[in-house]
Amino acid sequence: MIASPPPPALLMTPDERRRWLLSLWRYAVPALLCAGLVVMMLAPLPLPVPAMPNLVLMGVLAWAILQPALMPAWLAFLIGALADLLFGLPLGVNATLFAVAAGSIRLLDLLLVERSHLVDWLAVSLLVLACTLASGPLLSLAGRPLPVLPMLWQVLTSMIAWPLLLRLCVAVQHRLARSAPRWSHG
Amino acid sequence: MLDWTQTPRRPTAVRREQNLALVSAVLSGAVVAAGLILLLVARVNPETGAGLRALAGDLITPAWDVVRAPVDGATRIAGHIGDYFGAVSRSEALARELDTANARLRSARTGLRELAQLKRLMAVREPTRAAVATARLAAATAGGVVRSAMLSAGMADGVTRDLPVIAADGLIGRTVEAGSHSARVLLLTDAQSRVPVIVERTGQAGLAAGTGLPRLVLIDRIGPDVPLLAGDRIVTSGDGGVFPPGVPVGVIVDPRRDGPVIRLAASPLGTGFVTVERAWLPIPDTGPKGPVFDAPVPVEARRRGAPPPRLRGAETPPAVPAPLP
Repeated sequence: MIASPPPPALLMTPDERRRWLLSLWRYAVPALLCAGLVVMMLAPLPLPVPAMPNLVLMGVLAWAILQPALMPAWLAFLIGALADLLFGLPLGVNATLFAVAAGSIRLLDLLLVERSHLVDWLAVSLLVLACTLASGPLLSLAGRPLPVLPMLWQVLTSMIAWPLLLRLCVAVQHRLARSAPRWSHG
Repeated sequence: MLDWTQTPRRPTAVRREQNLALVSAVLSGAVVAAGLILLLVARVNPETGAGLRALAGDLITPAWDVVRAPVDGATRIAGHIGDYFGAVSRSEALARELDTANARLRSARTGLRELAQLKRLMAVREPTRAAVATARLAAATAGGVVRSAMLSAGMADGVTRDLPVIAADGLIGRTVEAGSHSARVLLLTDAQSRVPVIVERTGQAGLAAGTGLPRLVLIDRIGPDVPLLAGDRIVTSGDGGVFPPGVPVGVIVDPRRDGPVIRLAASPLGTGFVTVERAWLPIPDTGPKGPVFDAPVPVEARRRGAPPPRLRGAETPPAVPAPLP
C-alpha cells in the first residue's frame, strides 16, 4: 500500500516475490483499523447518554477520503456487518449505511476534487447525521423500530472527534508509506 | 507517492480503468441491495445471524474482560480513597440508620411469622430464586441504537436467553442471546425493554419501559390511580415469569401523570459483576417434541436413540370416520 507498484509478477526475482508477498498485509490495514474501532466502540463508557462517537463510520469515511482504493463499498459493507454483529443490531443496518456512505465520498471526490479540510469535516458531519437519521427507517424495515433521536448525542461527539480520528489515520498512512518496500526498477 | 491509483498512460490502460470503475459502481450497488435484502430477511426471521453474533461475542468479550480488569481496579482504588475521607460522617449516618432499621425489623419479624403461618394455611406455593452464573459485564454499546451489554458467561455456564440479570443494587436487564462463553444483555434502558413492575408504596402495577435514554418511563399503569410521589420505589412484580418479584428497578424522580420518570437503581456501567438468575417462572414447554409418526418407530432406529413413537391417533381426538358412499 502507498508505495511504488511492484514489478510485473512474471519478471520478479524470487527475492522480490518474497518481499512482495510479505508486504501484502498493508492492503488490509484500513480494514483492520476499522475493525479495531468497532471493538473500541464497545468500551463501557460511564456516561448516561449514548455519547460514544461513531468511530467506525468515521474510520470508513477517513479511509475512503485518504485511500479510496483501499476502502471500496464492499469492504465498508463488511465492516458495517461486523459492527451490526457486535452491536446487536439486525444484520444489514450499518452494513448498508457504511456502503452508501463510502459511495457518497466517492461521489464527492468526483464533484469536488480540490477541497479543504473544513469541507471534509462538514461533509463527514452531514454524512454521520444522515446515517444516524436513516438508521431509524432501516431498523423499522428490519422489523425492530427503535427511537434514534438519543443518538444525536453521538453525532455531536462524532463531529468533535473527526479531526482526531483523521489525524490518527493520516499518521498510520504516513507510517506505512515510510516503511513501504522500494523496488529497484522504479 | 501517497496515492495508490496511478494515472494510466496507454489507451488499453484507460479502457481497463473505465471497466474497473464500471465494475466497482455495479459492485457498490449490489452491496447496498444485499444490505437491504439482509434487512428484509431479518424482518422475516429475527434469528438471522444469531450464530454469527454469538461467535463474534465469544471472540470479543474475553478481550474486553481483560482490558476492563485494571480499569475496574483503578475505580475501586479511587472509591477506597473517597471512602477513607468520608468514613467518619458516613459511619455516624449509618449508625443512625441502623437504629431505625433495627426498630423496624423487630416489628417486621412478627409480621413475617404471621405471613409464613398464613401462607402455610393457604398452601401458597412459591418458586425460589436460583443463581445460574455470576459474571462480569464486559462491554457495553454506548455507541449503538440498541442499549445492550456483553456478559462474560454463556451456554457453557448455563446461561440461555430470557434470563434475568441482577446486580447488587437492582435489576440490570435480561439476556437476549447466548454464545458459548458470552451472552448479550438487553439493558433496561433499551427502547424495546419492558419490565412488569409495581409501585412499592401503593402496590399499583405497571410496566417500566426503556426509552433509549438513561431514565425509564412507567407506562400502562392499572388499578386505582393513586398519585405517585417523587421517591416512590419501583420493584419488579414477578408477572411475566422472567424477573423475580421484589428486585429494585428504580425510584420515581418525576411523578408526571402522563408518564412518570424512573431513575434506575443499578447502572449497567461500572457495575462490574452481575448475577444471572433462573427465570422466575419459565413458561413450561408443552409443545409436541419430535415428529409424529403414523407407524411405530423401527426397533433399529429406536436402539440408535430415536424418540419413542408418538402415534397420531394417540394425541389427536379420533377422527370421525368418513360416511360411506
